[in-house]
Amino acid sequence: MSRSPRASGYFRTGYAQETALTQTRLERVALVAFLLLLAAYPFLASAFYLDLACQVFLASIGALSLMLLTGYAGQVSLGHAGLLSAGAFTAGILFREFNAPFWVTLPAAALSGALLGVVFGLPSLRLRGLYPAVSTLALHFVVVYLGGEYETKRGFSTGITVDAPKIGGYTIYGGRVWYFVLLVFAAGTLLICLNLLRGRTGRAWRAIRMHETVAEALGIGVAAHKLLAFVISSAMAAVSGALFAYYRGFVSVEAFSLFLSIQYVAMIIVGGMGSLLGALLGAVFVTLFPYAIEAALMRLPNAQAYAGVLFAVNYAAFGVVMILFLLFEPLGLVGIWRRLQTYFLLWPFRHRPLAGPRR
Amino acid sequence: MRPSIVIAALAAFMSPALAQDAYVVGITAALTGPPASTYAPAIEALRIYLDRVNAAGGVNGKKINLVIQDDSAEPSKAAANAKKLLTQDNAILMINASLSSTYAPVVNEAKNAGVPLLFAASVCPKDVYPPAAEGQFCTTAFASTFDSRAALSFIKETAKEPVKIGFSAMAIPLSRGEIDFAESQAPGLGMTAVDKEIIPPPTADYTPFATKIKDAGANWVFSWAPWVTQVRTFEALRRLGWAGDYLTWAHLEAEGELKRIKDNRLFVIGANSLFDDNLPVQKEIADAVKAAGAKYPPEQMTEGWIAGMVIEAALKGAGWPTTAAKVQASMANLKVDLKGLRGGPIEWTKDNHFRTRQYYRIYRWDSAKTAVVKDWFAYDVK
Amino acid sequence: MQLAVNIIVLSAIYALIACGYVLIYRVSRVLNLAHGELMMLGAYLLLATASSFGGHPVIAIGAAIGLSLAVGVMVYLFLMRKMTGEMVLAAVLTTVALGILLRGLMVLIWSAQQQYPGQALGAANPALVLPGGGRISTFAALLVVTTVLVYAGLFVFLRFGRWGIRMRAAGQNPLLAAQRGINLHAVYALAWGLSTLTGSLAGMLIALDSGLTNTMVVIGLKAFPAALVGGLDSLAGALIGALIIGAAEVLSIQYIDPLLSDVVPFLVLIVTLVLRPWGLLGTREELDRV
Repeated sequence: MSRSPRASGYFRTGYAQETALTQTRLERVALVAFLLLLAAYPFLASAFYLDLACQVFLASIGALSLMLLTGYAGQVSLGHAGLLSAGAFTAGILFREFNAPFWVTLPAAALSGALLGVVFGLPSLRLRGLYPAVSTLALHFVVVYLGGEYETKRGFSTGITVDAPKIGGYTIYGGRVWYFVLLVFAAGTLLICLNLLRGRTGRAWRAIRMHETVAEALGIGVAAHKLLAFVISSAMAAVSGALFAYYRGFVSVEAFSLFLSIQYVAMIIVGGMGSLLGALLGAVFVTLFPYAIEAALMRLPNAQAYAGVLFAVNYAAFGVVMILFLLFEPLGLVGIWRRLQTYFLLWPFRHRPLAGPRR
Repeated sequence: MRPSIVIAALAAFMSPALAQDAYVVGITAALTGPPASTYAPAIEALRIYLDRVNAAGGVNGKKINLVIQDDSAEPSKAAANAKKLLTQDNAILMINASLSSTYAPVVNEAKNAGVPLLFAASVCPKDVYPPAAEGQFCTTAFASTFDSRAALSFIKETAKEPVKIGFSAMAIPLSRGEIDFAESQAPGLGMTAVDKEIIPPPTADYTPFATKIKDAGANWVFSWAPWVTQVRTFEALRRLGWAGDYLTWAHLEAEGELKRIKDNRLFVIGANSLFDDNLPVQKEIADAVKAAGAKYPPEQMTEGWIAGMVIEAALKGAGWPTTAAKVQASMANLKVDLKGLRGGPIEWTKDNHFRTRQYYRIYRWDSAKTAVVKDWFAYDVK
Repeated sequence: MQLAVNIIVLSAIYALIACGYVLIYRVSRVLNLAHGELMMLGAYLLLATASSFGGHPVIAIGAAIGLSLAVGVMVYLFLMRKMTGEMVLAAVLTTVALGILLRGLMVLIWSAQQQYPGQALGAANPALVLPGGGRISTFAALLVVTTVLVYAGLFVFLRFGRWGIRMRAAGQNPLLAAQRGINLHAVYALAWGLSTLTGSLAGMLIALDSGLTNTMVVIGLKAFPAALVGGLDSLAGALIGALIIGAAEVLSIQYIDPLLSDVVPFLVLIVTLVLRPWGLLGTREELDRV
């Protein structure tokens, strides 16, 4: 199974425990500690690090949704940025044209994402392998083109500005508030994903990914489940796009390049396919990577002279890291994490016993 | 790890550096990415200029600390850059030299931090024209609507026969908006607008677009777009045997490109002097560029040099110790003599953060060097 | 007349690029998404050789062609070889990563400035007047000729050449081919080399015709629909696909809206994927066996 037990053995005595999210006391303690740390973070970090955290949360939502689609349902998408932009533009346009409030634009963005998800998903019903990926790539260009046309026709040449959202009489404004809002959304997305995967839908997706024909023979509605994967994933991505629009206070097509799609794909590869933890780790890694490279370069003497090549260095380094992961660590960061975990779980032994309790 | 390093790292994480002994100027610029060739030379020039100022003792006895961040023309990166420069580095003056899609987030951040924002080498936003928004300033040569008016008036007085004008723009909002404006102005000046081509940025072949302009019977073409689109449309037209006149904006690349193309019916309209004028200040720029071993030729440095002169003057007016508010006050009342790099000074007042008069000059290739076709003419900015 | 010339030139550009996608896909079922970058690398290699052998255009071009072939082979030997037998998706993503790496390196080495390899070579690019009144620039004409030669050469090579037949065999059934003693790695390396070579030729000729910036990658991406519309594993299909995409693009510029030229190739692609997913001349994928 994809989730190895973190208890030292198999102690489950009922079905409820099979689906429980935490198993041991240590795990619960660690979870609470982690939550406390997350809650304390904004009161310790400076505005810049708060911004980084917010970026990570936004990326996490997108990466989780892509992980559902690619890592679990086995459908490749190269048009994720198109979905993000669809959500962002839905929120931006509704706000500009109708002055729609936050609680209208967000569901509307999800709806537009879901509709696009059906369109993105349709080719996958007839095709297998790379062809659906290509169709999502093509759709990315179409969505971005439409967004650009809207911007130009309405004269928003510097992008659509979006005011800070209001809920009730309260304006969401400032780094710390946004931190918690985005944290809640990211955590919510994680919970939705966990629950989907623990249930019937998740099992159907895994079966489809393993072998479509067998899945069909087992009585799984392959077409319906594929479409469902596209719809759910796209709706989540669109929400992430809309949140991006509100958080940054603007929408413009330039923010949703093809490279962004590739970055999301990189997140799930680097993180580790078929693992939600992987999606989160990947989002953290890919978001922070350029800043880390920058910080490293800026330590060199005569740092300002490198400013001009920084982006190129970042680009090249990003490519190298992706290649290294694909070649040498196909399981991604989560693979490394699991190995570490197993090492400590089994210590002082190096391997699991050959015959023993069920894993 | 030594405890001192841990403490230093923690301090950096938790709060921005406090007391500084220099003027911190933060830049987010498109140093890389597709449109970099418009911005990167200007930033290099600015760096060279401010290095010279520092070497000569700085401003009011204090050094200028220039912090450059690359945003590669991506709005999200620009937003993160601005946040870092304003909260981490405590910049007292923020500069944007990037695509217009980065403006909204950078303006937001600067406004929240109460730091003045200067657009240098990037197109001037509406907010700097009178009545100007507080805290936004612009030194960039090109200016929407003014450029088209000047260009069309030049075409009108130069053309001997009735003008049938074609337009070429790049498919980015800014360029399209300006060309739409020019198209709307043409009939009022007695010109027939025969064709308008809006060309997507990466295009394998410009000939199909040029064919349409030529077939529409244009005898003049006006293009206001990034240099690639301007020059490739022109070259495609010439290859099709089109013999008309072509007027286009004099971007940084213009001087070198006029020399490469050597076509005396290719006109460039601009606000900066070209280096064939041999002004003393241009010699100074050329020497400084050479001494610094810059990547770009001196004739691409004018724009950044002007920005440097303005920043130096603004900081001088702000005194020491200074705050962002003082810099802003100094910028709202500023007059900088540009020593001939432009037709007149840059002058900012309380409600004009662009310049009071916008000057234009038109050049073309004339047998051995670039030559002025029409000398400085100006429009009042109200 | 000019319209026909424009269609032919654009189609030739797309066809020359598209055959690189087809060569690799046909032999190894890998979609090379770094093709645009490899093509741009070819153009920059020409720029480099042009500045070292300035006076001798033939030597410079020859050296650039040789280098690009070597680059293709090396990409296979040092990178893609490790991905044979892995999931196809992993291999495709490796090419994406390679593309990102190459793009970064090219900006580092040659900067983002507009460059003119034609000027460095000292080659002029006058327009030729065709009978019928159409005009075409020298390098565009050369590009059309090159495309015709490359396709003719590939057809002959794949049908009659010893290695060509091996390539087809490897594409049809790698296991059987290997058991018949065909050196699969050599065949794959050859496919990568040829693909990079043809792509680079396209990149060089486009750069000679109208200059070189780092946005050339996108042209490579726009040629991708041509390969898919024709069928990813058919050379003849790539040719027809390129004609369709080229014609659709030029005609929409001429008669509808120049802005559409950016999305038309992808719209055609979507229509094809819905109606005939395996392309005009491509082979249908086999059914799954349990």
